[in-house]
Amino acid sequence: MSSPLLTPELLRRLEQFQLLAARRAKSSAKGERRSRARGQSVEFADYRDYVPGDDFRYLDWNLYGRLERLFLKLYEEERELPVRIFLDASESMTFGEPRKFDFARQVAAAVGYVALSGFDRVSVIPFPELAAERRLQPAAASQPPERAARMAELAARGALRSVRGKRSAIQFFANLSALTAGGSGNLNQALRRGALEARQPGVAVLLSDFLDPAGYESGLSALVARGFQVDLVQILAPEELAPAAFGDLRLVDSETGAIQEVTFGRYRMKAYQQTVQNFLQRLREFCQTRGINFFTASSNTPLEELLLKQLRKAEVWG
Amino acid sequence: MHFLAPAGLAFAATIPVVVLFYLLKRKRVVKLVSSTMLWQRFLSETQASAPFQKLRKNWLLILQIILLALGVFALSRPYFAAKAKPAELRVIILDASASMQATDESPSRFEKARAEALKWVDSLAGSDQMVILLAGANAEVKQSATSEKASLRRALQACLCSDSPTRLLPALRMAESLVRDQKNAEVHLFSDGAAPELNDFESKDRPLPLIYHRVGKGSNNLGITGLDARANPEDARQRAVYANIGNFSTNSLETEVELLLDDRLLERRPLTIPAGEAAPQVFLATQSRDGVFTVRLTAKDDLAVDNQASIVSLLPKPVKVLLVTRGNRFLEKALRAAADMELAVAPNLTGAAAGFDFVVLDDVAPATWPQGNVLAIHVVNTNWLENVASVEGPPIVDWRTSHPLMRYAAFDNVQVKESYTAKTPSWAVSLADAPQASLILAGDLGRQRLVWIGFDILESNWPLRVSFPIFIANAVEWLNPANAKTSQLLVKAGEPFRLGLDRSETSAQVTLPGGQTRLVPIDPNASEFVFGDTAKQGVYRLRIGTNDMVFCVNLLDAAESNIKPRDELQLGKYTKIRATSMQRANMEVWRSFVGLALLVLLGEWWYYHRRTV
Repeated sequence: MSSPLLTPELLRRLEQFQLLAARRAKSSAKGERRSRARGQSVEFADYRDYVPGDDFRYLDWNLYGRLERLFLKLYEEERELPVRIFLDASESMTFGEPRKFDFARQVAAAVGYVALSGFDRVSVIPFPELAAERRLQPAAASQPPERAARMAELAARGALRSVRGKRSAIQFFANLSALTAGGSGNLNQALRRGALEARQPGVAVLLSDFLDPAGYESGLSALVARGFQVDLVQILAPEELAPAAFGDLRLVDSETGAIQEVTFGRYRMKAYQQTVQNFLQRLREFCQTRGINFFTASSNTPLEELLLKQLRKAEVWG
Repeated sequence: MHFLAPAGLAFAATIPVVVLFYLLKRKRVVKLVSSTMLWQRFLSETQASAPFQKLRKNWLLILQIILLALGVFALSRPYFAAKAKPAELRVIILDASASMQATDESPSRFEKARAEALKWVDSLAGSDQMVILLAGANAEVKQSATSEKASLRRALQACLCSDSPTRLLPALRMAESLVRDQKNAEVHLFSDGAAPELNDFESKDRPLPLIYHRVGKGSNNLGITGLDARANPEDARQRAVYANIGNFSTNSLETEVELLLDDRLLERRPLTIPAGEAAPQVFLATQSRDGVFTVRLTAKDDLAVDNQASIVSLLPKPVKVLLVTRGNRFLEKALRAAADMELAVAPNLTGAAAGFDFVVLDDVAPATWPQGNVLAIHVVNTNWLENVASVEGPPIVDWRTSHPLMRYAAFDNVQVKESYTAKTPSWAVSLADAPQASLILAGDLGRQRLVWIGFDILESNWPLRVSFPIFIANAVEWLNPANAKTSQLLVKAGEPFRLGLDRSETSAQVTLPGGQTRLVPIDPNASEFVFGDTAKQGVYRLRIGTNDMVFCVNLLDAAESNIKPRDELQLGKYTKIRATSMQRANMEVWRSFVGLALLVLLGEWWYYHRRTV
């Protein structure tokens, strides 16, 4: 990575934020998040009657003085908030100027950094996984630099499965930078799998263009059903919002190789943009009915605009 | 199936062009995109979601609709009904007189009239027919009734403008006979209206459906309207050339008048003529041999043809006269008074009187009648006259003052004791009449020119009257064959040139002013040579047998030189035809639509490519 994912200035400002989880953390690991579990912390939660065997240190002697009954003070157990970042690394993300994938990595880095700053566990799940055929390609395997890069990316992907602590941030950024995009992604499959794999639900941040012919509904439903609080950032390239190519076109899908012949001119721009808006509207409505935070951004949107204004306004963090 | 405009089928050549356009394969640009998903949705939303879609503003669609509309318009053969009623027969009369050469219209009145007439040909509807008459020196049918536009156009294109005065009357008569039995007929006259003789035109049954299309707008013209060359009465060695120059414009005009003898400039004089007036000019010139005097105006005006006129001037020759008389001092003295007279007196005539220009028979019946011109006094020749009777003391009740012989000769107070009278024969005109019959006759009988006086002048008091010597002087001039010949050598444009033949000839060669030569065959029995192709003015050279001679054709017509276009034609005594402003009728405009459609087609193709590339 030649340039850092996030500028020091932006990192400094992000440090002030903390991911806001609407639900209590359900992680079993201790952390800084309030949870439903009772345990040791400074946050008072409730009283209960003393039963023999309880730790005397938690008896409320003031109450005993007034009521002559023994009550035990209960405290909230503070636990960590698992943050899962689903990062679309399919071929379609390599388009756009700047590339959608670069933008997605920056957003992922920012979300990850905020989470790490709040002692939350961060998992970055790039999908699709490095495909088996890509991994075992003899031609690719025979070339040492290619092979070395692949090995490095595999290692980075492994390292990104679980990151905790602010000190890991540098390594976290490095690993994010090592990721590459390619291949055909299956959004639904990746999300369902992520929902199943998660031991505790937490915050799920989904960074994708959602341009998957198979759709996104079942994947998102699975995440919501598992109890995730889902934040969704759709990233589209400027040329997808307003194509600059006109004339008689033979369009080739970068992921599926499907061919679509289109005669396109400026006079049909409006119709195309209406199609895009319809697509976004459907996604937005789907998200609203399931309590999913939905954001859409063009890959040339200033990062600060999305991170410091939109996400903050939507109380993804604060 | 018939086609009114078969040339229109040539437009079918555009069909392969359109097909070619569609044969051209569209070259698609291959482009890798992140995902075709949005495009598929876009296509499905814009195209296949419903059998009908909302009509978008698409220039291609609009252009194609315009194209189709224009094509349909063209196929329906639209036309403007204008003001004209549909006519079954239209007679086009094209005035080809000299004044139509005026250049106040560009390029000339005649061309303008022709163009107008061509528009009417174009407007000819379906089965309607058209006749084209050219009113030049003669009325000529250039195209008989037809609805074939190509023939009509060809006929109009073949029309030529002449230098002759307007002769609309025969053309109108011809047109009237053509439209007489037609219900819906129109006669379209394209003229400047300089046609004075139309007063004589009377429609037979119903008014002529004449539509007068006036051509011309200006009247800026100077013209020579009269020309003559004679011996100078004051100095016999000189010739006096008389020219009358008229200004027909509304402004005073300046010009120079040049006199040329055989293309040699003799005199030039500047001249200013007030508007609407004429300036008679007399030039005196010495002439050593026969030649052609030409008077030329140098001013530039709208009509060039009347700016030059020529006249043949033959040197005067002594006139040789044989007087056959038993003694008549009055007559002899009167004859001798004429200029250049070589008089021979004889008591009787026995031979053919060869070598004399004319013979005077004074109360002597000759043994052999002379072959040449004769002044016969109190003699009877039954070859000349019929029903000759003798009358005692006939009073002279009338005489024809307009005849050249009677110029300044009045028969007041002339008494005659006894006279022969004769019924006026067909070859002669009566100059002096008694109540019973003619006393004096004059005319041309065959090649002979005859003057017949029925009474013996010595048995009348006529020799004592002043009219007698004048009459004799007039007779000498009239009977002199040289003078008769000179008058024949000046011909008005469009009128035939006539020349009496002394002996039989088989052919003559005429060189026209333009340099072309015409070989004219002559009937060996003919007594006269007639040449009719005198539409162009100028000097004509004639070679007949071994003789070479020159004759001049001139316009010399004040009515024609007055080129001011007339707003109104006086047709007959009571009818006036106003110039119409009516334009051509039933103008078909499908050609314009087709032209527009072609343009739209090209525009559509251009737009389509500009949009997609």
